[in-house]
Amino acid sequence: MADFEIKDLRASVEGRQILKGVSLSIAKGEVHAVMGPNGSGKSTLSHTLMGHPGYAVDGGEVLFKGQNVLALEPDARARLGMFLAFQYPVVVPGISMANFLRTALNSKRGYDGKDKSKQVTPKEFRSMLKGELEVLHMDDSFLPRYINDGFSGGEKKRAEILQMAMLKPEIAILDETDSGLDIDSIKFVAEAVNRMRGPELGILIITHYTRVLEFIKPDFVHVLVDGKFVLSGGPEVADRLEKTGYSEWGKEETAQPQEVA
Amino acid sequence: MGFNPESLAVLQGEPDWLQQRRRGALATYERLPSPSKTDEEWRRTDVSRFDPGQFSTLEHLDGLKLERPSGLPSGVILKPLRQAAKDHPELVEPRLFTLVHADRDRFAALHAAFFTGGTFLYVPDGVEFDQPVLGQHFSHEGGNSVLPHTLIVAGKNSRFNYLDEYVAEDDAETGYRSGSTEIFLGEGAQVGYVAVQKWGRNVWHFADQRAELQKDSTLRLFNVTLGGKFSKTRVEASLAGEGSNAELKAIYFASGEQFFDFHTLQDHRVGNTRSDLLFKGALQDVSRTVYAGLIRIEKHAQRSDAYQANRNLVLSDKAKATSIPMLEIDNNDVRCTHGATVGPVDPDHLFYLRSRGIPEATAKRMLIQGFFGDVLDRIPFEHARKLVEAELESRIG
Repeated sequence: MADFEIKDLRASVEGRQILKGVSLSIAKGEVHAVMGPNGSGKSTLSHTLMGHPGYAVDGGEVLFKGQNVLALEPDARARLGMFLAFQYPVVVPGISMANFLRTALNSKRGYDGKDKSKQVTPKEFRSMLKGELEVLHMDDSFLPRYINDGFSGGEKKRAEILQMAMLKPEIAILDETDSGLDIDSIKFVAEAVNRMRGPELGILIITHYTRVLEFIKPDFVHVLVDGKFVLSGGPEVADRLEKTGYSEWGKEETAQPQEVA
Repeated sequence: MGFNPESLAVLQGEPDWLQQRRRGALATYERLPSPSKTDEEWRRTDVSRFDPGQFSTLEHLDGLKLERPSGLPSGVILKPLRQAAKDHPELVEPRLFTLVHADRDRFAALHAAFFTGGTFLYVPDGVEFDQPVLGQHFSHEGGNSVLPHTLIVAGKNSRFNYLDEYVAEDDAETGYRSGSTEIFLGEGAQVGYVAVQKWGRNVWHFADQRAELQKDSTLRLFNVTLGGKFSKTRVEASLAGEGSNAELKAIYFASGEQFFDFHTLQDHRVGNTRSDLLFKGALQDVSRTVYAGLIRIEKHAQRSDAYQANRNLVLSDKAKATSIPMLEIDNNDVRCTHGATVGPVDPDHLFYLRSRGIPEATAKRMLIQGFFGDVLDRIPFEHARKLVEAELESRIG
C-alpha cells in the first residue's frame, strides 16, 4: 500500500506549466528514482512537493498520512515527516549550523519554548550527531559555522544528509544529491543513505545521471520528460538509460556524467 | 511657554562662561530658521510638526545615575557635567560644544542652551581600566525636555569603556529628548563607547555623537537606536592624527510608526587613517528610516582606508528604508569602499529553514537575529553586549 501518493500533480513556475500530470506511489521501504533530462521538471517536482512559494500548484494532490500535503505550509510538511535534500543548499549568514540543527530537531518534536520535556538536551544532541558524523566522514568543526557558509560542494551535500539522518523523515526527496560531488563524497553520502534505508523510510531520488544509482540501488525508476512520466519500471530502466540516454524521447543528452579529470 | 531667556534662569549656580555660552546658543536657536525640505540633510526628514517650545519644562537638572567602576584609578574625574563645569573649568570650558557645534541647526542650538544631566569623564594620560563606566539617563514623566550631554576626555594612551543608556520609565511618554556626546581621544588612547537610546515611543529625539581622534588613537563606537517616534542621530568621527582608527557601528530596530534618521561622517583629515562603519537596521510595520553617510578624505590624507556599509532588513511591505552613501575624495592614494542594501528576508533562506520543520515565525526570528549577528559581535565590551542582545531579543519577540 502506498504511504505517499502523488496524484496527477500539475505545477507551474512564473505562469508556465512545467509539471503536466505526475502520478507516483511510494511505500515506505522503497527507493524510487526519477530520472530526466534538463528542463523535464525534476526540480519543479522536488520544490512543489516541499512547498516552495515560487512554484504554483495547478492541480492534483499529494497524500501522506491521510492529508493532502499540498494544503500544508512547508514547515508543517517537514514536521509531518517529509524531507528535501536540496540540490543547491543555501548559505544563510548569521545562523550557526548547531543552532539550526537544534532548532529543527526541537520543532520536529513540537517544542515551542514551553514544554521543556520535549526539548533536545545538549547531551542527546551530541550523541545523535556523533554517529552520523562518522559515517559521513565529517567532523564537528562545522557546527559553529554559519549555515553552509564557506562549505565546499561536497560538504554542503553531506550536511544535507546529516540533517536528514538527524530529523529521521519517513519520506525523503534527494534532489540531485550526486551533482557536483567527487566519487568519494558520493560513496560517503550513499553509505549514509543506505544506512537509513528500511521499512520506516521511503526515498525519492531525483537525478539526471545514473551514477548515483550504482551506489543507492533503486527499486523503481521513472523517466520524466516534459513534465510527464514516459516510462516506469524496475532498475533495468536505469540500465537502458545508461546506454541510450534520453534519445528515445528526442533529447540528445546522455544519462552518464562527463568524467571530470 | 516656550524656550526663552527666562527659562535659563532655572539653571542656577553655573559659572559665567557657561551661562554666556547658553545665552549664545539660545540666541542661535532664535535666529536659525526651522530646517526646510530644500536642505539636503532634511529632505526626507520632516520636523514641521515639531514645536520644541511645547516641551520647554526641563524635567530635571542632574537626573543621571552614574555607576563608578570600583577602584577607579586616581586622577580619573567622573561627575555630572554641570558640576564639572564648576569644579574643572580648565578641562571643560575649552572643549564643551567644540565638536558638537551649537550653530549646526536649531536643535543642536537648543540642546547646547538647555542641556542638563550629562556626564563628564576625564581619564588622565596612561590610565587604563577594564570595568566600564555606566551612565544612565532617565526620563520619569512626559511632556517635557530631557537633554543630557556627555563629554569624554581620553588622555594619551588611556584605555577604557563607557556606556550611555537613555531610559524612559513610560514607553508612551511624549516630549523632547536628546543625548549628545563629545569624545576627545588623545594620542594612543583606546576608547569603547556605546549609546543605547530607549526613550519612549512618542518623543522627538535629536542627538549628535562626535569624536576627534589624535595620532594612533582608536575609537570603537556603537550606537543602538530603539526609541522615539522621531529620532535623528548624527555619528561623526574626525580623524585628526595619523594612525588613528574609528570603528563606527550601529543597530536600529524600527516598528509601528517610528521614523529614524542617521547621518554619519568619516572625516579623514590626515593620512594613514582608517575608518570602518557598519549600520544595520530592521524595519517593521509602517516605520521608515533614512541613512545618509559621507566618507570625506581630505587632500593630504593619503594612504587612508575607509569602509562604509548600511544594511536594512525590511520586514513589512509598508516599511521603507532609504540609504544614501556618499564619497568625497580629494586624494587618489586611498582605499575606499561603500555599499548599501535594502531588502526583505530572503525567501530562499526562509524556505530552507522551514523545510526543516522550523515554523515561519521562529525562522523569521532566527533570520533577523542572524542579520544582526555580525555587528553584535563588534560591541566593544561584554556588559553592553548583554544589554543590547536582551533589548534586541525583546524587540524581535
